[in-house]
Order: sequence, then C-alpha cells, then structure tokens
Amino acid sequence: MAPSRSSRTSLQSVDLRALDYLASPSANLLCPICHSPLITPVQTRCLHTFCSACISLSLERSLTCPVDRKDLSHDDVTPAPIMITNLVNDLVVLCPNRERGCGASCARWLVESHVREDCGYALVKCAKDGCDGMVERKDVEEECVHEEVGCQFCELSVRRLDLDSHHRECPKLSSECPHCAESFLNPDLSIHIADCPAEIIDCPASHFGCPYTSPRSDIDAHTSNCHFVALTPILQLHTERITTLELENRTIRQKLELLTPPRPLPTPSSSTTISSSSNPPANDGSSTNRDMTSEMQDYTYHLYSEYEQLRADVERLNAQIRELDVKQDMARINEGLRYNDEMTGMRAAMNGLRMQLHWLVASRRETGAGSGGAGGGASRSVAGGSAGDGRRMSDSVRQVMKL
Amino acid sequence: MALPKRIIKETERLVAEPVPGIEAVPHEDNLRYFDVSIHGPAQSPYEGGVFKLELFLPEDYPMTPPKIRFLTKIYHPNIDRLGRICLDVLKANWSPALQIRTILLSIQALLGAPNPDDPLANDVAQRWKEDEPGAIATAREWTQKHAAP
Repeated sequence: MAPSRSSRTSLQSVDLRALDYLASPSANLLCPICHSPLITPVQTRCLHTFCSACISLSLERSLTCPVDRKDLSHDDVTPAPIMITNLVNDLVVLCPNRERGCGASCARWLVESHVREDCGYALVKCAKDGCDGMVERKDVEEECVHEEVGCQFCELSVRRLDLDSHHRECPKLSSECPHCAESFLNPDLSIHIADCPAEIIDCPASHFGCPYTSPRSDIDAHTSNCHFVALTPILQLHTERITTLELENRTIRQKLELLTPPRPLPTPSSSTTISSSSNPPANDGSSTNRDMTSEMQDYTYHLYSEYEQLRADVERLNAQIRELDVKQDMARINEGLRYNDEMTGMRAAMNGLRMQLHWLVASRRETGAGSGGAGGGASRSVAGGSAGDGRRMSDSVRQVMKL
Repeated sequence: MALPKRIIKETERLVAEPVPGIEAVPHEDNLRYFDVSIHGPAQSPYEGGVFKLELFLPEDYPMTPPKIRFLTKIYHPNIDRLGRICLDVLKANWSPALQIRTILLSIQALLGAPNPDDPLANDVAQRWKEDEPGAIATAREWTQKHAAP
C-alpha cells in the first residue's frame, strides 16, 4: 500500500444498512423491523432484539413492542449482549464500491476503515491544489482530470475527464463510415451515412416479399426489372382494401354481438352432456380461423344448452302428468269404495225393512183368518193395500239407491 | 429516494416464495405499488373468486401500515363500497414487525371469517346479522359475478 494513498482519507460515508453480505446471514440475526442484520443491537424488557435506530423510530409512533405489542418505553431498551453485537459485526460484507470495481470483502466492523483508508475505488479529494473535484483513490497520483484542457483539434476547452467523449464528436476530427470505410469529418458523417453507396439495403419492395439486398449503388439496376416493384401499386391497393375490410368486419362483428341476446351460462349438468355429445374443439384450425371457430362453437354450446334445458323441462312436465294420473286413479278408487260401503249399508237397511214388513203382513193375516169371512175380505183388502204400500215403499227406496 | 432494503427483500421473497392463493406483483415504474390478487378461501362464500387489490407502501413504511384497497367488488361486512378494509392490523394495531405477506394473509383470513360486529359496510353487516344464509348467498352471487377468474 503506497503511503500517499493511505494519507488521503475518503469522506465517502458507508450506509451499513445498504451493505451486501457475502453469505446470507442467519434469520436470528435480522432486525424484525428493517429485515437486515442488526446494527447496534438493543434489547427490550420483553427480550426482543432490534437495531437501535429502528426501535427508536418505532417507539416514536407507538409505545409498544413491535413483536408482542407489550407496553414499552424508551427506558426499557438497553444494549443487547456483547455476544450478539460481535456476531453481527463479524459478518463478512462486500465493499460498497463493488460496482466501481472493488472486489474486497471484510468483516462488517472493518468496512468503514476499508473505505476510509484503503479502498482504491473510494472517492477522495483530487490531489491538485485548488481543485474541488473527486477522484477514485487509485487515480489520485495521476494528473488532475478536472482541469480544463484545449482540444488539440478544435480549440474548445473541455475537462480532461470528458476529452474522450469530446473526441468522438469533435467537428474538426474525422471518423470512418461503417459501410464504406472512408473517412469524413464528424459533422458530415451523418449526412454521408444517410446515402452511402456502399451500404447494403433491401429492395424497396421487400415488405411484399422480395428477398433481394445489394449495395445502394446497385439497387437501381435491380428495381428496374424486379417483379415485386412492378406489382407494388397493385399490391399496395390490395393491402389498403384488406385493411378497410378488416376494419369494417370488426365493426360489423361488434354490432352483431350487441344484437345477439346474452347467452345464459350452461348449467353444470348440461355442459357435461354437451362436451360428450358435441364435436371436440377444432384444435387443428389455423390461427386466423380460430376466432371464428370458437365463436361458432360458443353459439353451438348455447344452442345445445338451450335444447338441454327444454328437454329437461319436458321431462319434468311428463313426470308431473304421470304423478297427477296416479293421484286421480287413487282418488277414484277411494270414492268407489266409499259408494260400495254405502250401498251395502243401504241394502242391509232395506232388507231389515222388508223383514219387518213381511212380519207385519204375516201377523195381520193370522189375525184376519181368526176373525172370519166378511171381516176376512175387508182385512184382506187392507192387508193387500198395505202390502202394495210396502212394495211401493221398497220401490222408492230402490229408486233412491239407483240415483 | 432509493428503495429501502427491507422493501427489496420483501418483494424478492414474495416472488421467490409466494403465499398459496396470494399473488403480489410490484409495478415496474413504481416499486412501492403492488397489484395483488387473493383467491377466496375454501368453504367461504368467496371460494372460487379471485379478488384484485391495490397495495401501496407509504414513504415511512414500515413505520406506517401499507395502504390496501379491494378493486374487485365484494359483499363483505368489513369491506365497504369503495373497497376499504376494516382490519385492526391495518390501523391502530399495525406493528413494523408485520409485513406485506402477513397482512395479505390477514385479509385472506378476514374473507374466511367475516366479523359483522365490527362493520364498515353497515347495510351488509345488518343483513349478515339478520339473515345470514341470505347474506352468504348474495356474497356467493357477487363472487360469481365480479370475481370470476
């Protein structure tokens, strides 16, 4: 290490929280708030460990422990055991100037001194007296890059730092054309490149399929007898027509979508029957047809689902009719049974009446036979009358039964 | 302002080890803004739905909670018409030890266990208390209508 190097200290500050670690540290060493390895670890009364800065910020907003929500005040926070502090300080970190090229890694507690004293890529003050610029430590011995120097070609003064980029566009310098290898002054180069005869270009009809390429100088010979160029006006016309037709087609399709009624979601049962009964989706269709096919398929699905719904409706109605038939039959049978019962009851009552009548007639006859001739004729006529009444009565009963 | 290391770490972990049923993808142009989608938990009226949310990490995150809002319409007693969520850990009970992952899990749990006693959408909570089967049916209907994946 050159002594002059270490004599220049870097003012570059190191943000410990932004450091990258060589190996991913144990999850036990991470602060629950910033999720980085603990920096100046402290411990709460409830034995949780945080970075000192993190817990202070948290306590400003809420006087509870972020982990278990127990009450906590600033006085309940004490430095964590030395062992934890040592564990996190010994973690190996990569130098923060890694992006500028420093490949060093060291324990975290040494990184600040590495950047301040050693790191060749840390920014230090420029060695030249009176210059306020910053320079990487490894370059500090070289001449000051911040002083203005005149461009040796164009008298413009630029910082030494920017000289390279200036040379690429200095108007007095010439650069080589990438196509024809000729040299041109920087301001003229772009004009030249736009029509360099050596540049390889495509045929003007390349977008219609002509594969011809040649240097710009030879392209005229080709275009004069290129079939694609000859057809260009017609092809152009066709392309325009196709575009307008596509546009028209799209608007028409949108209108159609607006006009067709919204399709109901097929019920799960009907959708399964559809997938089994309908044709399998056309996977072999070309990509241009796929939209169309899927649209048709959607429509077919829709029709199928409607058909399935109708069939289900008819089946339901059939079942209802069958049920009603059975109910009616039952009702009729019940009614018939009831009438039968009533009829037998009536018949029994009638038989009883007939028996009574017979008995009455028989007893009247016996009394008439006992009293003699004249009385017998009169009684017979009475008995005959009452017997006729009895028959009539039974007839009327029978009539009621018939009704 | 540079993105704090914690946010970078959380984002990396969300992408590397995603929580089942939860996706959170940061915007390319603003790494503090996340597009979140939560799948409705099984055995809840929100099952089968995928709900979109927006999540924003404020400047002083993790000292203040992330701002989260449902973008998908949802019928839930603790989520109002504008998608705002009534959840204690998003307000008074926020702790800097919580993270995006734990908060999204809490929201998923809230979908599985609506709490009509601490309502944000009063009409929904009222219905939830008086006619729970009806409210659940409406929630299911809304899920089908608005949160179909």
